[in-house]
Amino acid sequence: MNAIELQAVTKRFGRTTALDGLTMQVATGEVHGFLGPNGSGKSTTIRVLLGLLRADSGTARLLGGDPWSDAPALHRRLAYVPGDVALWPNLTGGEVIDLLGRLRGGTDPARRAALLERFDLDPTKKGTTYSKGNRQKVALVAALASDVELLLLDEPTSGLDPLMEAQFRAVIADERGRGRTVLLSSHILSEVEHLCDRVSIIRSGQVVESGTLAELRHLTRTLVVAELAAPVPEGLATAPGVHDAELDGHRITCQVDDTELGQVMSRLSALGIRSITSTPPTLEELFLRHYDESGR
Amino acid sequence: MTGLGSLVRLALRRSRWFYLAWVLALTAVVPLTAAAYEQIVDPGNADLLIATMTNNPTMRAMLGPPVDLTSAGGFTVWRVGTFAAAMAGIMAVLGVVRSTRAEEEDGRTELLRSGATGRHAPLVAGVLVALLACAALGVAVAASMTAVGEPVAGSVAFGAGLALVGATFAGVGAVAAQLTASARTAKALGLWTLAAAYTLRAVADGSTDEAVRQLAWGSPVQWMALTRPYADERWWVLALPAVTAVVLLTLAVGLETRRDHGSGLWAARRGRAEAVASLATPGALVRRLQRGQVIGWTIGLLLFALAMGSLSTAFDDMLEQVPQLRLIFQRMGGGAEQLVDAFFVALLSIVAVLIAVVAVQLFSRLAAEEERGHAELVLSTGATRGRLLGAYLLVAALAPALMLVAVGAVMALNQARATGDWGIVAEVAGAGAALAPGGLLVLGIAVLLHGWAPRLAWLTWVVVAWSLVMVWVGAALDLPEWLTELTPWSPLPQLPVEDMDWLAVLGMTGLAALLLGLGAVGYRRRDITST
Repeated sequence: MNAIELQAVTKRFGRTTALDGLTMQVATGEVHGFLGPNGSGKSTTIRVLLGLLRADSGTARLLGGDPWSDAPALHRRLAYVPGDVALWPNLTGGEVIDLLGRLRGGTDPARRAALLERFDLDPTKKGTTYSKGNRQKVALVAALASDVELLLLDEPTSGLDPLMEAQFRAVIADERGRGRTVLLSSHILSEVEHLCDRVSIIRSGQVVESGTLAELRHLTRTLVVAELAAPVPEGLATAPGVHDAELDGHRITCQVDDTELGQVMSRLSALGIRSITSTPPTLEELFLRHYDESGR
Repeated sequence: MTGLGSLVRLALRRSRWFYLAWVLALTAVVPLTAAAYEQIVDPGNADLLIATMTNNPTMRAMLGPPVDLTSAGGFTVWRVGTFAAAMAGIMAVLGVVRSTRAEEEDGRTELLRSGATGRHAPLVAGVLVALLACAALGVAVAASMTAVGEPVAGSVAFGAGLALVGATFAGVGAVAAQLTASARTAKALGLWTLAAAYTLRAVADGSTDEAVRQLAWGSPVQWMALTRPYADERWWVLALPAVTAVVLLTLAVGLETRRDHGSGLWAARRGRAEAVASLATPGALVRRLQRGQVIGWTIGLLLFALAMGSLSTAFDDMLEQVPQLRLIFQRMGGGAEQLVDAFFVALLSIVAVLIAVVAVQLFSRLAAEEERGHAELVLSTGATRGRLLGAYLLVAALAPALMLVAVGAVMALNQARATGDWGIVAEVAGAGAALAPGGLLVLGIAVLLHGWAPRLAWLTWVVVAWSLVMVWVGAALDLPEWLTELTPWSPLPQLPVEDMDWLAVLGMTGLAALLLGLGAVGYRRRDITST
């Protein structure tokens, strides 16, 4: 069963369409990366899942329930970390952690202490005196210290320093080991690449790509740089499956569709290969490609 | 002071509607009162009226001692002058904090300070814009009073007095903004200072003791009236607010040098590492968030009630000093007893509206919590919207109602002590309770708007502000009665002068409950958005 099921969900704010028939699934037990630039609809999706916003059309299922009508019951089984954590000015970090934990149905004191240690967080400071990163840590500790099935994390590391980000990755790896489902919205690609089993890429309120990293790569192009024995024939640049080719005497740099890779290779070897490198696309390139194409 | 010019323009741009609304509203009240003078004061009867007003402690406590009621100008200064001065103070405190500490707290000042901007430039810019608004108010008042035919000298003294009292409180706001890191606390500090000044002058002016009366000189809100516009102006009195404003503003700049950006001089204290066991429900959170405000308002209102109550026995002195007054009041259909009752009624109707301000303020915290993203955090847990709303409603409905009853009881204490008739304590407390449904109705409007059209939340403040102006100065403005009676409190019985009217009390409560319920339905259906 899927922990999250969104089927053609649309949400408008006045004239702007924040979600435009968004469809995505997150399987139980997986760490799912939710990628997209600012304003693409990531936070709106999470707020629909939290029952804070009501979808205009489409269906949403969360942990087998309806996120709008079953909100409080479902919320006891999940924890949420917003992208911009706002703390009450007159409550300490420790008080916020305890309050949110209790509202969710209780925290594990040992785990709370371990997480405070791990994230190097002082729980006695008042809300306003924390930095952005520390406010985020408060919400992270509160979320991770309760025993829930699903974690909804909205850009949780945007304020963390590299050291803390490493800690965060280790903690999420632990969580996966315990069988929790995680929806991790982010625009930090290396983080998603490290942590996530599957990825959904969202653009203008629609999921444009979804799958495992391997699947996504399969559909894409490989960067090929080759040094040939003979000058590169002009015709190669316009061969099927070859894109963005740059010819420089004996040297060719191009993107090749994975489906045409075999064909291109045999043409190259017919010309006599002196050296060749082929690089699979990084998530970053995948991502940029989607956005570049949308721009055109 | 680098970059001051652009910062002034920025502050002006961000606060123009705020100041414009205040200045226009305050200016409108003044010439309207002057124009209504002829209707209110019968020329043949002026001397008697003046004697009555001069000796009536209620009027003196609420409005200050009249100086010259034989001219429309003098009458206006007495009837609405001190009110306008207090309001100018509120405008200045809120305005200065809004463009200094609030901007700093939200992190916007940091962005500006990182540019080519002097350390004190944002503070000075915020203060300058507030001073500009005070000056505009002064000029508008002076011009409009001259325009309705009052002497130029008096009008200038009136306008300058209002502007300078405003400037003094701009200084208060600027100092408060240096002390605390939170804009909310800074505003509260400034408004508390103003409330203390108003109470000081109310006690001083209402007193029959000549020595106590001199204390009014210590209250900045009274300095405009002490200039005596339209009555042989004492121009030198204007030096008091001018010097005070300069001292306070210099102090604020000096204090700003001694603190870090983003922090206040009062250091933030550390707190508990773990929450107390009871902090586990939305209700507990709301009580924790509202605790300070409820305690603060309660103490302030009870002190006010105590101070005002101490004046009630002055009626006996007054009647002893001016025996013919007893005849007048008897002719008007009431004895001395009713005089004291009328005093309680007059005060309670003002306090009832002020307490509605408390109720709306307590409830509006929910909207603020949504805007700041706090509500999102709470609603992402097992807490339901109904329980969150209910928690705010409970505090916003119950605390103000209890405050109103307590104010009534405390206000009557002195009278009960003097006469030995302790029944009056319960009687005036009951009078307070009978006015409580008015506040509940205002709260109902606030909840209805919050549930269905949160962007129109300001409409509630319009209702409250309208009621406040009507109950305070409405009688002096020459408006039709149906208009001045158009407040949530008008249908309610004014005990003990009027008889109990259960239909009005229960009807109003029922209507309020209906609005609360409708609002709750809307709140459970709408989107929760944050900025």
